[in-house]
Amino acid sequence: MTLHIVSQSPFSGSALKDCLSAFADGDALLLIEDAVYAAKGQTITQLKGKSVYCLEPDAVARGISIDPAIEAIDETRWVSLCTEHNPIVSWFR
Amino acid sequence: MNSFVIEDREIPLDKEGFLRNLEDWSPEVAKALAAQEGIELTDDHWDVIRLLQEFYREFELSPAMRPLVKYVGQHLGPDKGRSIFLMQLFPPSPAKIGSKIAGLPKPTNCL
Amino acid sequence: MAQEKTLLAMCRHAPYGHTIAREGLEAVLACAAMDQVPEVLFINDGVLQLLEQNPKTIGEKNLRRNLQALPMFGVETLHVCRRSLEERGISLDNIDVPGAALALVDNPGPYIAGFDQVLSF
Repeated sequence: MTLHIVSQSPFSGSALKDCLSAFADGDALLLIEDAVYAAKGQTITQLKGKSVYCLEPDAVARGISIDPAIEAIDETRWVSLCTEHNPIVSWFR
Repeated sequence: MNSFVIEDREIPLDKEGFLRNLEDWSPEVAKALAAQEGIELTDDHWDVIRLLQEFYREFELSPAMRPLVKYVGQHLGPDKGRSIFLMQLFPPSPAKIGSKIAGLPKPTNCL
Repeated sequence: MAQEKTLLAMCRHAPYGHTIAREGLEAVLACAAMDQVPEVLFINDGVLQLLEQNPKTIGEKNLRRNLQALPMFGVETLHVCRRSLEERGISLDNIDVPGAALALVDNPGPYIAGFDQVLSF
């Protein structure tokens, strides 16, 4: 199962949209850096029914409160997500 | 700067002996570049030099070993599309030494 | 003997707006030259790399010409996302690459999930 990592704001580029159109059943999505802006508001509807994680320090740093539908994680959990999934695909641009 | 003089022209080279200006290449320049590698050019050498230049025109890049072997095989036949054949012509690194003598840039993926 | 890891290079960006498209191609060529031939998937704006192009007008090297060397480097099939082509109004005869077979990918998700490692460009 793939772990998709997105780092771009959903409002500035197509990385999140592109990632979601290459999403397979059972895949997981991790929002880091500016992608945490997808963790609240209307973008949430696109993430329904998927395993979605958000790196909490990045969200806190940006003043974003993570929607309860998304699991807030720390760096240790990020590492374990990486060991639980294969391959890992970055969507950084 | 590294350079040599051929037919009263000064030909600048980079520190590995590749032509700085690809348009400086001529058969005479190739002979001089080959001599620096201790190679005397035979018909087989010239066939491969011509193919290296064709490869560069077709793909706008210098080949690494694997594509060079394949390309030579396609154009000169399977006897010659073998690394041992190319190794004998342009030791010790045919893609790199061949590209140098053919006046191509250094292959980017060549170690 | 250990099974070799399977490698996918995903090309997602248009050829000249950013250097990442060229970096991706160079990574693929470097892998192939080291006998680690990846599969290559053109997806999103990456499918635009396959169009005939004439970048002399902007002083750039022709990326498509370089891509045409992929079969020489052992990448004989180019995988292309069907939806990305359709979204951009590109038909298969716009992206024919001599010497390479084109394989359309309808479902990129499961395709990507089948690899051990994925490089994203």
